[in-house]
Amino acid sequence: MKIVETKVVVLVIFVVLLALLGTYFTMIVPLMDESLYTPTKDARPYTKLELKGKQVYQREGCWYCHTQQVRNLLVETKRYGMGEEETFKRFGIRALVQAPPSQPGEYVYDKPHLLGTRRTGPDLARVGGKYDNSWHINHLRDPRSTSPGSIMPAYTWLFDKNGRPTEEAIALVAYLQKLGTNIKWREEGVALIKKMQGVPSPEETTTQTQEVGE
Amino acid sequence: MVQHEDTSARWFIYTSITFFLVTISIGFIMAIKFVYPEFLGGIASLSFGRIRPMHTNGVLFGWLLAANMGLAYYVVPRLCGTKLFSEKLGMATLAIWVIVILGAVVTFGMGITQAREYLELSMVLDILVTIAWVMFAVNIFATIAKRKHEQMYVSLWYIMGTLLWTALLWIVGNLPVYSGVNDANVNWWFGHNAVGLIFTPMGVALAYYFIPKSTKNPLYSHKLSLIGFWTIAFLYIWTGAHHIIFGPIPTWLQTVAILFSISLLIPVWTVIANFFGTLKGKWVQGNYVVKFLLSGTVFYLLTCLQGPMHSLRSVNQIISKTDWIVGHAHMAVFGGFSFFAIAGIYYALPNIVKRPIFSDRLAEWHFWLSFVGFLGFSISLWVGGFLQGLQWMDHTIAFLDTVRAMKPYYVVRLFSGILMLTGQFIFAYNIYKTVRAEAPEVKAAVA
Repeated sequence: MKIVETKVVVLVIFVVLLALLGTYFTMIVPLMDESLYTPTKDARPYTKLELKGKQVYQREGCWYCHTQQVRNLLVETKRYGMGEEETFKRFGIRALVQAPPSQPGEYVYDKPHLLGTRRTGPDLARVGGKYDNSWHINHLRDPRSTSPGSIMPAYTWLFDKNGRPTEEAIALVAYLQKLGTNIKWREEGVALIKKMQGVPSPEETTTQTQEVGE
Repeated sequence: MVQHEDTSARWFIYTSITFFLVTISIGFIMAIKFVYPEFLGGIASLSFGRIRPMHTNGVLFGWLLAANMGLAYYVVPRLCGTKLFSEKLGMATLAIWVIVILGAVVTFGMGITQAREYLELSMVLDILVTIAWVMFAVNIFATIAKRKHEQMYVSLWYIMGTLLWTALLWIVGNLPVYSGVNDANVNWWFGHNAVGLIFTPMGVALAYYFIPKSTKNPLYSHKLSLIGFWTIAFLYIWTGAHHIIFGPIPTWLQTVAILFSISLLIPVWTVIANFFGTLKGKWVQGNYVVKFLLSGTVFYLLTCLQGPMHSLRSVNQIISKTDWIVGHAHMAVFGGFSFFAIAGIYYALPNIVKRPIFSDRLAEWHFWLSFVGFLGFSISLWVGGFLQGLQWMDHTIAFLDTVRAMKPYYVVRLFSGILMLTGQFIFAYNIYKTVRAEAPEVKAAVA
């Protein structure tokens, strides 16, 4: 052992080799794993507008307080699923559709990834289609108007002098509506419930990005 | 006796303390925003999402790494019995470092970011960091190459290890080639090892030097220091994926990360046993230098007991993504490694400027404010974060209710932050007065 304490070169070689060993197994091997690159069946790349929205999301650091991963835990599939109070009230149904846990194939178009680490606010992996566009606009302009008790900042610089959303705000909402839709769980869940209950659909639950604006 | 110039050491230390004040003030603004979300509202460049990277990158690279580099410029020549290879190279390194940190503050304020945690710096700044790090490494390795004693002390192993690990992590982590969940995996390979293979070995290297020096005790065990170094060199790099447990990455990868995280108890225990063995008998009569080293050691131990426990799936599902983790991270970086760096500065600076610290009383105040403030900070986040994690385990509790429930803990954290902040301003004032002491004061102090 004396030699690693007296010869710099020997110490350097051993340190580097050990570091590369762990790097190989925990980083290089996953990089070679094709299943981590295969898109899910419903996955589609971001549109230009959504991509612009993703850049706003990155710039404003939304990802510091919102994760984008439904962990593989029963309680999270319920929390981020469709609860009675959100989606099904308008159908007059009490039901809960679990959100599928996040899968690698949903993220293949994410560069950089925005999985996040901290939930000062709720997870956004399945937020697409949960609210309509005007809710998001109001929430960005004044978070506490839609979510009393929220500690999110108001993104006033995404709105013009008359309080109308700028292109950036519209793009951001388009991006948010895209989140989690690389698996078509929301449509399938709604269809399933409707079939089970035989209730007619009063309105579309997923809104289109073009409808953004006051 | 070798006459050390210590120009690089001294200026790196001054710079790091300046950045410390700025970046913890930004942290304080963030703490206010948790209680009063409207605070400084409407100013885009001061919004939470933009100042958070200023705080984390600023504290990590502007304060802690810069302070560690300054102390390395002090420690390495003394352990090698020779002068630093080049003070000019050291000052050039500092110039680049200052540009990087100022550039970081400006670009983050403008919202220019790579949006990967701890890798936010834009490409130009990344390259400048790489250049500065190579210059630093050349300086240290060249100094070690002309050392007077063949045998190298444990601090030197750790410092050399840091030079290599940082280069590997920084360059590979910043390659713009990853996407999807692999990008997340690489991000955490970098992010966790930034703590484990940059700040840990630097902090441990300094503690290995300053604990024996300040207590005048010999190092407790050479064998333990060997075990500690080589186990950390082997084990740490495998653990990054424990940040994405239950997430969209392969289960085997999560399990490997958990196993290696648990194994980290080995290097931690050996290092801690060595520190405590060396501190033996000096717990009570020690001055603020020993107090910072001792409490830094305790916080390092607690951090490293928390870490492996966090990686267990049963624990992870509750505390992951909560404020508990924020308390944990601050214990490592503030309670552990910043305390080591502060102790190093209090010990080294009088030797550099050849006069004692301006006020021992202020230094004691600095310690107690930092210590008590930090306890309030982390305990409030641990309790609040744990309770929030438990609330998340029941999906019938609305998320907003769990946010509202955090408010009292955020208030306690804010007030604890005032103590921490005050302590560091006292630190800076004390160091300023020490450096700027007039001739009569020097005489008085010596007398």
